[in-house]
Amino acid sequence: MLRRRLSLVGLLIVIALVMPLTLFSRPVVAQDSAACPEGSTGSSDGPVRIGVILPLSGSLASVGGDERAALELAAQIANDDMADLALPLAAGAGLPNLGGAEVELVFADSQGRAEVGQSEAQRLIDQEGVVALFGAYQSAVTKTASAVAERSGIPFVNGASSSPDLTEQGYIYFFRTSPHDINFSQSIFDYLELLASDHGAEINGISLFYEDTDFGVNSAAAETAEAEARGMPLAGEVRYRANATSLTSEVQALQGQDANILIPSSYTTDSILLMQTARNLGYLPDVIVAQDAGFVDPAFLDAIGADAEGVASRAAFSIDIADVKPAAGAVNDLYRQMAGKDLYDVPARGFTGMNVLLDAINRACSTDPELIRQALIDTNLSADDTIMPWNGVQFDETGQNTLGTGIIVQFQDGEYRTVFPTEFAVAEPVYPLEPWDDR
Amino acid sequence: MSGDRPTAAMRQVSWAWVGLIALAAAAILIPLMFGGVAQLNLLVLVLLYSSLAQAWNILGGFAGQVSLGNAAFFGIGAYTSTMMLIEWNLSPWLGMIAGAVLAAVFAVIIGYPVFRLGGHYFAIATIALGEIMLIMFANWGFVGGAVGLSIPFIRGEDRRPADSWLFMQFNLNREGYLIIGIALAALVTVIAILIQRSKIGYYLRAIKNDELAARTLGVNVLRYKLIAIVISAALTAMLGTFYAQYLLFIDPETTMRLELSVLIALVAILGGVGTVAGPLIGAAVLIPLSELTRSALGGAGNTLDLVLYGGLIIIISVFQPNGLVALTRRGGKGRSTALPTDRQEAMAEEAPLLGGGDGR
Repeated sequence: MLRRRLSLVGLLIVIALVMPLTLFSRPVVAQDSAACPEGSTGSSDGPVRIGVILPLSGSLASVGGDERAALELAAQIANDDMADLALPLAAGAGLPNLGGAEVELVFADSQGRAEVGQSEAQRLIDQEGVVALFGAYQSAVTKTASAVAERSGIPFVNGASSSPDLTEQGYIYFFRTSPHDINFSQSIFDYLELLASDHGAEINGISLFYEDTDFGVNSAAAETAEAEARGMPLAGEVRYRANATSLTSEVQALQGQDANILIPSSYTTDSILLMQTARNLGYLPDVIVAQDAGFVDPAFLDAIGADAEGVASRAAFSIDIADVKPAAGAVNDLYRQMAGKDLYDVPARGFTGMNVLLDAINRACSTDPELIRQALIDTNLSADDTIMPWNGVQFDETGQNTLGTGIIVQFQDGEYRTVFPTEFAVAEPVYPLEPWDDR
Repeated sequence: MSGDRPTAAMRQVSWAWVGLIALAAAAILIPLMFGGVAQLNLLVLVLLYSSLAQAWNILGGFAGQVSLGNAAFFGIGAYTSTMMLIEWNLSPWLGMIAGAVLAAVFAVIIGYPVFRLGGHYFAIATIALGEIMLIMFANWGFVGGAVGLSIPFIRGEDRRPADSWLFMQFNLNREGYLIIGIALAALVTVIAILIQRSKIGYYLRAIKNDELAARTLGVNVLRYKLIAIVISAALTAMLGTFYAQYLLFIDPETTMRLELSVLIALVAILGGVGTVAGPLIGAAVLIPLSELTRSALGGAGNTLDLVLYGGLIIIISVFQPNGLVALTRRGGKGRSTALPTDRQEAMAEEAPLLGGGDGR
């Protein structure tokens, strides 16, 4: 009995020892809230620490890792002297208004889970002493992590979550640089109007085809609202179970709707199956313009080959933007050295979001979160200050960038080319789709 | 099974109190001493998972009905209070009660047919049940579907998030969550102890050890299984409400996924099935382990933290198959060198999972 008692006491001691271990991992954080006076530069002790939450394990680890590389590149560009790169903070080492302070990114793994995002956001603020948070790719994780930032009074910048809700919550510390689902749907319909006005397209009906998920349902709702607002005829919609094994009856339903415009929202395997089934059943609208996702995945092009010719999709970034914005090409070269692949949608948006945050911290002349928030509100970057096909970065009162737009890319001669909007276009849109047998 | 059962139970109870008091003392003292919000977060998570495991234990431990669908009850609690708050601006305290009642009703409806399944089939049916709830909520537009629901901040006059006991939201002084967490953990533990000491507790253990024998002795098996699942579901739902208020955002994945059901069972099993102290010890070891490994190694992006965490779970389950609580019963011999028959005897006495008495 005594031995048992002793061993229980031992166990409790072990527990008591394990739990406070977390306490001693807290680093001493330099607090610097001295605002620099007008026209002079402030100083900072130690690096400027920014917390980054990304899915670094689980099914989204690969895209999380790609974004991580892009964020590290953004920090490196600020920290090193890269005078020949036409981006803010590239010239000179460190953040000039903070006495050349270095930027240090503190990464945390969300595991793709909302509750882990919350825990990690709390830890980064409380134990790592970060002055701002960045992340978190998935909208659900961004929601919980940004709630922590909001209550702690720490600015949160988001680069790539597309749920419109995020900027509708009345948060005053949340800023999103990327367009969201509603903006992207506007781009799709702007493109359709361009086809109608400049390329003789007739819009006799629009079919919506979407998977039964957050992404598909939100996209379809935004598309329906756009079509109704512009008085375009909706022929019908087909909702299907994601990761379908057959889409035959769904494609037959589309045939029955007899519309000449198709807007699909699908991930990779479904988008491939849709195109194969359409070909087998001889279903061919005049225009296919997709909601990103599967239709811009390189695997889609590999599987479909020439049948993808003429298919268009909205996107946030396309590497041929380098033809219009030389900085994008230079950044892509650096990124390829780091990550071994070209920049694409997600890393490009992450890179830009981090650039905006670093620019704001520099203008704040301080690591005080309140001053950083004020600097974010005052953000005013021009079209040439980003690598994105945007008109710049300015936040409205909800924290949403009002100058960001989606682009439309079309598969032409074996690769995606930007065809809309015209200021970033490198090719003319092709209308209508060629018959299956002529490919 | 033999005459020393009552004393064994009493002994367990006193140990449970020691553990509970130690945990409560640590929970109150550590934040007071160090005052960090991240430590407070860890403590709230420990209290939450220990309570969830304790509620699971009433059904899975005492009655031996291993449920891998308890997240469904958790989700019902979270969604009920959140919908009542968003739609009618009702306090989550009312929502907590409503959620508990709803989960209890739901538990009876599903328990009635599912309890006819024996052994592993019950576990499989609860997995299916949890998944059905997950898919249903993900496609149900009224409750936000796959997008989930956000609970708006209570804001003060300066637009900054504020505190409110009425709306169970503590944005400035997070200690409020800790106090509620301790209160809920105490409530669940006291209920577990009361059940364990009462007639119901003996009936449940009788059902676990040999259902047929219990029936022969006049125990209304279905009725007591239903009592166990109703209590387990109601308590789990109350914790769901607390979690929704803590996270301020819920979606089907966060509140109902299978992984959560498994984690609840894992905490109880690693701690010690069928004991009151087990879930407390399990959560106090497992949750800090998960948070520690992730905060130390997770940022590197090489998933080493998950490998380490998984490895430690395997080590515990290999060397302490009866749970960490068994360390307190064998004179500290973590690794039993007893003969297989003795070990089986000990296992059957302490924690027969899935009707451990079957083989004898």
